[in-house]
Amino acid sequence: METASEARTERASATVERERTKPVATRIWNFLISIKLAIWIIILLAVTSILGTVIQQNQPPETYRKVYEDWAYFLMDRINLFDMYHSLWFLFLLSLFALNLACCTIDRLPRTIRNIRNPRLTLDGAAEKTLPLAERWKNKGDVSQWAETYRSVLRRTFAAPKVTEADGSVHLYAEKGACSRFGAYVTHAGIVIVFIGAIVGNVFGFKSYVNIPDGGEASHLDARGGKEHIDLPYSVRNNRFWLETYPSGQPKKYASDLSVIENGREVLRKTITVNDPLVYKGVWFYQSSYGQERGATAQVAVNRQDGTSLDSLSLRPNEPVNIDGYGVVRGANYEPDYQGNGPALQLVIEKPGRPASDIWILQGRPDLDRRRKDSLVFSFGGLTAKMYTGLQVAKDPGVNVVWLGCLLLTAGMMISFFVSHRRVWIRLSPGPNGKVEVAAAGSANRNRSAFEKTFASILAEIRNDLTKKEKENPA
Amino acid sequence: MNTLNVQLFDLTTLLFGGASGTYIAAMYGKKETLARIGTWICAAAAVISTIALGVRWAESYKMGIGRIPVTNLYESLVFFAWSVNLFYLFVEWRYKNRTLGAFVIPIAFLTMLFAFTNESGIQPLVPALQSYWLHAHVITCFVGYAAFAVSAGVAVMYLLKAKREDAKAEGGVVGLFPSAKALDDLVYRSIIWGFPFLTAGIITGAAWANYAWGTYWSWDPKETWSLIVWLVYAAFLHARITRGWHGRRAAILSIVGFLATIMCYLGVNLVLSGLHSYGS
Repeated sequence: METASEARTERASATVERERTKPVATRIWNFLISIKLAIWIIILLAVTSILGTVIQQNQPPETYRKVYEDWAYFLMDRINLFDMYHSLWFLFLLSLFALNLACCTIDRLPRTIRNIRNPRLTLDGAAEKTLPLAERWKNKGDVSQWAETYRSVLRRTFAAPKVTEADGSVHLYAEKGACSRFGAYVTHAGIVIVFIGAIVGNVFGFKSYVNIPDGGEASHLDARGGKEHIDLPYSVRNNRFWLETYPSGQPKKYASDLSVIENGREVLRKTITVNDPLVYKGVWFYQSSYGQERGATAQVAVNRQDGTSLDSLSLRPNEPVNIDGYGVVRGANYEPDYQGNGPALQLVIEKPGRPASDIWILQGRPDLDRRRKDSLVFSFGGLTAKMYTGLQVAKDPGVNVVWLGCLLLTAGMMISFFVSHRRVWIRLSPGPNGKVEVAAAGSANRNRSAFEKTFASILAEIRNDLTKKEKENPA
Repeated sequence: MNTLNVQLFDLTTLLFGGASGTYIAAMYGKKETLARIGTWICAAAAVISTIALGVRWAESYKMGIGRIPVTNLYESLVFFAWSVNLFYLFVEWRYKNRTLGAFVIPIAFLTMLFAFTNESGIQPLVPALQSYWLHAHVITCFVGYAAFAVSAGVAVMYLLKAKREDAKAEGGVVGLFPSAKALDDLVYRSIIWGFPFLTAGIITGAAWANYAWGTYWSWDPKETWSLIVWLVYAAFLHARITRGWHGRRAAILSIVGFLATIMCYLGVNLVLSGLHSYGS
C-alpha cells in the first residue's frame, strides 16, 4: 500500500473534499476505511483475547462458583466471559475487523491499480522537489541522442524505461517491483478468506465424537454443540484397537484398524493413529482417545464332573445367564485379591425351587469348585476388559478455503515486506548554449537505504557513459 | 551423571555468560578487541550448541524414542537460545556493529540459565507430538521468537541512544551505538523477518492441529496468545508503514511485543493450562 507521506498528501485532499459536505453515510464510510479503526480493533482484539486465556473457558458453572462471588459470576456469565470467543460481542469485533479490511480494500485498491496502470511518466519541477533522491547535471549535445543513450543504460542497469515527449523535453521512466503495492491487499484478502472458510466450516460442517468397542460398529455420532446427533449414511467398524507403551508405561502409540461399511460392503479399510486420520467422503476420523468398556466381562469355564467341557461363559456384571437343565448363574462381585489368594469372582447360582447360593471361585485354582460336588464345576478364567477406541469425527468443507487464505496471507506479507517498488525518472530538456539539462530522480517504497545505493550506481553508470562519450566525441 | 548433550549445553551456558560479560565490558571499556572476542565466543557457542542438539537427537534414537530435540521445556529453552544466538550473529555480520551483543546475548544467557534449572532428561514423546508437523511448527515459531528477541534488545538500545541524541550528549557508552536512525531501522527489519515466521508458525500449528484433532483453531491459551503476539506486531507494522510511527513509540511497541512473546512462549505453559503441556 502507500507509504506514510504519500498517503498523507492524498488523503489530506480527499478529506478536505469530504469535509465540506458531511452526510452521515460518508462519515460512516470514512470511519470504516480509517487505519485508526484498524489499529483500534487490533488492540481491542488483542486485549480482550487475554481475558479468555486467564478465565478458563467452557467449564461447568460449579467450577466458576467456587472461584467467584455470586455477583461477579452473574456479571461474567451475562457478558459471556465463560465462552467469550463465541460470544456475540467478540464475533462483532471480528466482523468489524473483516468489514474494515474489506472497506479499506474497496477504498484504496482502485486507486492503487490506477496509479500502477498510469504511472507518472514525466518528471516536473514540483515532483522533483518531493522525491527523496534527485540530481541535476548538464551535457553537451542533442536531447534525443542523449535520451537514446540513457534509455539503453537504464535498460541495462535497471529496467527498460518508457519514453515520453512533452513540452520539448524527453522523459524516461523505469520501474521495478510494482507488485509490492499489492502485497498488503493480498494479505488482507487472505485474512477475509480465512474468515469465510471458518464460517463455511461452522455452517456446513460438524464436529463430533464416537466411542466404538473392539469389534463394534457405529454410524450414529454424538455431536458437540448445536445439533443433537449425526447419522452417517454408512458405518465405521473398529476391527481392532491396540496400545503400545514405553517401558515406563506411558502410551507410545495407539491405533485402530477401521473399516468403512456402506450398503453392507466394506469400501475402505485403514489403520489410523494419532496424527494419521481416515478420510471418507469429506468426513475425517481421528484417533483421539481410548478406554476400557464399562463393566468388564468375567470368563467362566463350565465343566462336567468328569472333566469334559460343557460351555464357556462371558458374564457381564450381574447379568444372569441360563444354563439348560441346571439353573441361572450370574457374576456378582470381583475381588482383585480375595483373602490373599489372588483374583476371584463371586458367582451366584439359582437353581429352580431352591434358595440362591453363592460361591467364590479363584482364578489361580481352577479345580477348587470340585469340592462342592455339584453336577457342574465352574472355574474363573479372569476378567477381560474390552477396549474401545475414541474417535473424533469432523467434517469441514471450509478447511481448504482457510488454507487458501493462509497461503495468500503469507505470500502477500512476503511481497509487501521484501519487494520494493523502485522508480527512476530522467528528464532531458534543451538548455542554453546548446547544452542538455538533465534531471534524474528516484523513489522506493521499501528499504530506501538499499535503493539509495542502487540509484547511485545507476547514476554512476550514466556518468561513466557520459565521460566515455565525451572522450569519443570531443566537442 | 549428566549425558554428553547436557554437558555440552552447560558449556554453552558458560560461553553465553562469557560472551555477555565480554560484550558488556567491551562496551564500557570501549575496547573493540574485547567485542571481537565476544563474537568468537558466540561463534564457539553456536558450534557447540549445534553439536549438542545433534548429540541429543542421536541419544534419543539410542534410547529408542528418536525425535527432534524440541519437545519439552528444557529442549525448547536451549533451542530458543540457539536461535537467538544464530539470528544475532547474522545481524552482527550484516550490520557490522558489535554493541548489539551486549543487549541480545544476555537474553540467550538468561534463557540457558533458566534451562539449567529445569529437568534435562530425554523423555519419550506422547503420540500427539509424533508428527512431521512438529519440525516445521517449532522451527518457524522459534525463528520468529528469536527475531523478536533481537528486535526488543535493539529497541532498548534505541531508547537509550535517542535520549542521548536528544540531550545532544556525546561520548560515553551509548556513543558507541549505531545511530538512532540505524537502530530504529533494525528494530523494524528484525520484525519484518520475525512476523512472517510467526505467521508460518501459527499456520503450521493450525494445520497440525487439524490433522491431529480435526480443528485448526480451538482458542486454546497458547493459540490465543500467539494470536495476541501476532496482533501486537500487526499493529506495529500498520502504525509504522501507514501512520509513520518511528522511534520511541515504535521501540516501545516492539518491547511490548516481545513481552507478549515471552508470555506466549513461557507464561502460557507455566501459568495457564492447555494443549502445549511441556511446562507441567
